Amino acid sequence: MTKLLTPELAARIGEQVSYTAPEPLGRASIRYFALATGDPEPAHRTGEVAPPTLICETNQYAGVPRDDDGYAGHGWHLDVPGTRLVRGGNSYEFHGPVGPDDIVTATWRLADMVERVTGDGKRMLVVTSTATYTKQTGRVLATNEETLIYVER
Amino acid sequence: MSSVEYPPLERTIDLPDMIAYAGATWDWHRLHYDQAYLAARGLDRPVVDGQVFGAYLAIALRGWFGPHAEITKLSFRFKSLVFAGETIRCHGTLREVADRHAVVDLRVEVADDGRRAVAPAEATVRLP
Repeated sequence: MTKLLTPELAARIGEQVSYTAPEPLGRASIRYFALATGDPEPAHRTGEVAPPTLICETNQYAGVPRDDDGYAGHGWHLDVPGTRLVRGGNSYEFHGPVGPDDIVTATWRLADMVERVTGDGKRMLVVTSTATYTKQTGRVLATNEETLIYVER
Repeated sequence: MSSVEYPPLERTIDLPDMIAYAGATWDWHRLHYDQAYLAARGLDRPVVDGQVFGAYLAIALRGWFGPHAEITKLSFRFKSLVFAGETIRCHGTLREVADRHAVVDLRVEVADDGRRAVAPAEATVRLP
């Protein structure tokens, strides 16, 4: 049986890509996020301080065209035939407040890929990526470890 | 120390909420609104973007610990899909407090049937 984790895929572990937003985060973006999530905190509602997860959830910095699924964020575009993609989870660390004047750079790294078997015997490829978000001074704002899972159909 | 269970944060996630979140995060994936796209994948309702649960958990944490508390870590795993129109509850239980940091066990459940949308999950909060 062919492995999901082919040598071609394994060779991609360690790839890295950075995206820098073309503008500061902006009060309107913060305010819009706060409104969309029903965040009651006044500093978020006025756009003075970003809710902590905003920079980990937004694609504002990416500047990539949307794909056929309508998605316009970072992706590794891995080819894993015979699978469907599901989200595994996220692990965030926040290193301090983010404000409207911050210009965010997101640096993604394809950290690891591991083939496993689900409880019902299906093969899956667990892909772990890390993102480090920095501002224009170089200060780290947050980190994000994200798990995506390609599950055999 | 006996564990403290906080009052859950409840949200009904209607399609306009999902559209607003898609705009606010620049994420226009068709799973979240396109009925034809969903039907082709055997789904009868738009799927809530799982990332929003991170935002909801952060809101819940600040409600429980106050605006001067600082969330330093937040992690969560997705268990099941949530669909447009469903009501979710963010639950939190205090696990421990040490060195002015609280560690909280979290989960997100769907109100109607109790299925777990997000679990396990946890956060670390620096206390004022």
